Amino acid sequence: MLSLKHISKWVNVGGKPNFLLKDVNLTINQGEFISIMGPSGSGKSTLLHIIGMLDDFNEGEYSFMDQPVHGLKEKQRSALYKQHIGFVFQAYHLIDELTVYENIETPLIYQNVKSSERKAMVADILDRFQIVGKKDLFPTQLSGGQQQLVGIARALIAKPQLLLADEPTGNLNSKQGEEIMDLFKQLNKEGVTIIQVTHSEKNAGYGSRIIHLLDGRIEQEQ
Amino acid sequence: MLKNYFLLAIRNLKRNKVFSAINILGLAMGLTCSLVIMLWVLDERKIDQFHENKDRLYSIFEKQMFDGKVQGGFGTPGPLARELKNILPEVEYSTSMGWDQKATFQVGDKVLRMPGNAADSDFFKMFTYPLLEGNVQSALSSPVSLAISHKMANAFFGSPQAAFGKTIRINDRKDLTVTAVYEDMPLNSTQQWDYIINWNDVWETESWVQQWDNNGPKTAILLRKNADPALVQAKIKHYMDQHLDKNGGWKVELYMQKFAERYLWSDIKEGVVSGGRIEYVRMFSLVAVFILLIACINFMNLTTARSIKRSREIGVRKVVGALRFGLIKQFLGEAVVVAGIAMVLALLLLFLALPFFNQLTEKHIEFPFNEWTFWASILGLVIVTGILSGSYPALFLSSFKPITVLKGVLKVSPSANWFRKGLVVFQFALSSLLIIGTIIVSRQVDFIQNKNLGFNRENIVKVSLLGEPQRYYELFKQQVGQIPGVTAVTRAEQDPMLIGNSTIGIDWEGKDPNAKPLFSQVAVGYDFTRTMQMKMVDGRDFSKAYGTDTAGFILNETAVKRTGYTNPVGKPFTFWGIKGSIIGVVKDFHFNSMHQPITPLVLHLRENATSGYALVRVQADKTKSVLSEMEEINKKINPKFPFTYDFADEDFKKSFARETMIGKFSNCFAGLAIVISCLGLLGLAMFAAEQRVREIGIRKVLGAGIGSLFTLLSREFLVLVFIAILIACPIAWWAMNNWLMDFKYRIDMNAWPFVIAGIAALAIALFTISFQTIKAALANPVKSLRSE
Repeated sequence: MLSLKHISKWVNVGGKPNFLLKDVNLTINQGEFISIMGPSGSGKSTLLHIIGMLDDFNEGEYSFMDQPVHGLKEKQRSALYKQHIGFVFQAYHLIDELTVYENIETPLIYQNVKSSERKAMVADILDRFQIVGKKDLFPTQLSGGQQQLVGIARALIAKPQLLLADEPTGNLNSKQGEEIMDLFKQLNKEGVTIIQVTHSEKNAGYGSRIIHLLDGRIEQEQ
Repeated sequence: MLKNYFLLAIRNLKRNKVFSAINILGLAMGLTCSLVIMLWVLDERKIDQFHENKDRLYSIFEKQMFDGKVQGGFGTPGPLARELKNILPEVEYSTSMGWDQKATFQVGDKVLRMPGNAADSDFFKMFTYPLLEGNVQSALSSPVSLAISHKMANAFFGSPQAAFGKTIRINDRKDLTVTAVYEDMPLNSTQQWDYIINWNDVWETESWVQQWDNNGPKTAILLRKNADPALVQAKIKHYMDQHLDKNGGWKVELYMQKFAERYLWSDIKEGVVSGGRIEYVRMFSLVAVFILLIACINFMNLTTARSIKRSREIGVRKVVGALRFGLIKQFLGEAVVVAGIAMVLALLLLFLALPFFNQLTEKHIEFPFNEWTFWASILGLVIVTGILSGSYPALFLSSFKPITVLKGVLKVSPSANWFRKGLVVFQFALSSLLIIGTIIVSRQVDFIQNKNLGFNRENIVKVSLLGEPQRYYELFKQQVGQIPGVTAVTRAEQDPMLIGNSTIGIDWEGKDPNAKPLFSQVAVGYDFTRTMQMKMVDGRDFSKAYGTDTAGFILNETAVKRTGYTNPVGKPFTFWGIKGSIIGVVKDFHFNSMHQPITPLVLHLRENATSGYALVRVQADKTKSVLSEMEEINKKINPKFPFTYDFADEDFKKSFARETMIGKFSNCFAGLAIVISCLGLLGLAMFAAEQRVREIGIRKVLGAGIGSLFTLLSREFLVLVFIAILIACPIAWWAMNNWLMDFKYRIDMNAWPFVIAGIAALAIALFTISFQTIKAALANPVKSLRSE
């Protein structure tokens, strides 16, 4: 599905490059459930952002679904990720001014989906996540677990093949966390490729493959 | 999509009520201000524009060169209008016009005083005043013709139909026949006449207007449709040469000005049209743009400041696929919606403010409900304001990188900071400019108001001597003089504060025979300087005790200086062929607008003049009883004319009504500008405090006190305001100096207005930001640090 070859990213500190990622090689196939682990500052989030095309890299090649990402323009890149990738964040990042329904609908608006179709799609996912009753509430009126559920619903609404999650359970208690991980497992079974960043060994265990990062390098793969 | 913008805008406004209130209120005030000025400017520009022939209708003015001076004015020789029509094929119609003055009309027992003028028979063919009765051919065709307004027809006869053909007696002198009734002259006409008599009547009764070397009547001409104005101008320029004595030492050139332009371009300096109200129209148009800019800048700054809170939303939107252009559209859409809401509020404010504004400017501006151009410009203003004020936030917000904002650390780039600081400086520079201008304008108005005019203008009642004062003035003076509370009575042929007549008909010993100096002149009665409480530098007042005073003259100091006499009293002086002598010298006093220097003046005695005013000095506390007794006396000795009076003081105030109005006007706007700017500053202080929450928290943990935090947060703004003041000062100095140059008598420019404005701006700014900075400084550091 995607492959990273010799990816490096650095920032210059006092004239010297400070590597965030160094020579990362990684291939991920359709249907995998990958967990990225590592201590703080090891480059987990940076790697996830690069995969999600939210961040640039300084060196190397990245091809996503046989398209060379490093050669694409901003607009094409945006078109590519909004079609194929969904994001889930630790802090949910829902838009406070929008209702649950509208939050979930937003990606579809940006993909120019027709109004009637949007309605049907949002209704489906609300139903599936059993949050129909919450659709007119604002994010601040929900618990953390419910907010993350909405976040995942929003990430999945456009039916992406790849779901990127940055510590999706980091702000949740263990019970809520478990529910989210079970949902991920379920989604993965349905064919969605998932890459998650996590600190938790237990959560990492849900995945089919674990990548350990240290100081910007892949230390070990399990 | 539009619905989406609207919904989001509304929700955002609701969520941040204080912020939204500041934002919308500021913008609404700015818009109201601009709308008020816009309506005023449109109204000013509409004046005299309704004449159908306005493109061919011209006023004639003179450029006069004599005694080494150049001056000019709209007063022209009486025969000019007819002559121009006779000799120039390009001139279709022409008319002379006299002076705007009130006349007393009588029908049966009914006596009314109405304002009006005299004009030639072509008048209604040139000016567009629709006739309700009569026709343009015969409206003013004979010396007994009288055209009256609808209002006057109603007042005397009940209707225009009833008035037509009726007889009205004017000034108890002559019977006139109503030959036309015209619709009341519209409020946007400079001519506000309820009657027009035939010019021949003036021609016959005031024989001096028949001479080419006297000026006074106004002349207007209507060119034929295909006539070339430039050619006509060339033809008339030197036309006066043939009528004036070539060796007379003076030269007159004639010029044309479109009648419709006269209202805004009425000042003639050295014989050239040099401005007038147009300067104020321009000035206030500029002020309107300034205030709108200040309001828009506010909006930009506040929205940008708020964007920190919205940055996450932008990040999320980008991550879920929004393109930058889409976000720009969204933010511009929101800005337009907010501008729309502000506009609705502004219209409401405008509706409430208009009566007050009309009072201030003595205008009759109405809320233009059914003018589509007004609504179209409102819509345009909303869109322009929205885009103008929303563009920077839109561009700025949409440029956020999603991952940076989602990580929660938004470092605003230095260039964005510079831009915002620049806006604050610009905004406060404009405000300071307005404050300084306001201080100087009001000081100048104050200066004129309280200036020692050289006589005591308080407690003087100016009674119009109507009818034939030569018959009753002596009796009037005697009887009024006996009323308790009256300390002195005199008379003058012209308003002593507006002496407009002048002459070259003077001579003195040792005068250069080729020089033709122009002396102002006024005929006065006995006891003139005593009544007016003027100071005699030398000699004495006109007095009954001396029989020879008809050949005696009182000169002002400037006149004496011009004659070169060292001991003037008793020296020979000739005036209008009367060889007499100087009996007194009066200290210079102001008898004209403060825009004019004091010119040489001759006072000559004419106790039995046929018109003018009685000037009665009364004790301040007895004015009311004196007035009613004078009315009784008038009823007895001059029964056919109503008792008509003014207070000299109020007339004086009218002479600088324009400046007073400007003063009030700029007070309002400077106040508004400051309020709006402060709203903006408030927003920025909030922004800065938010930006530095972490820094403040850390400093507090390290032991910083509230005082030092306050200084830290305030310093930056005060520096900006200070820079703004520094920028504003030289500009204000230059502009106000120019404005003051227009006054012959003016305040000296000194540093005070600048210092006061500077301190005021700094104090207001400090006060405004202190709310936010103190709040930020007091906040619990644990909270701010935890949120990181």
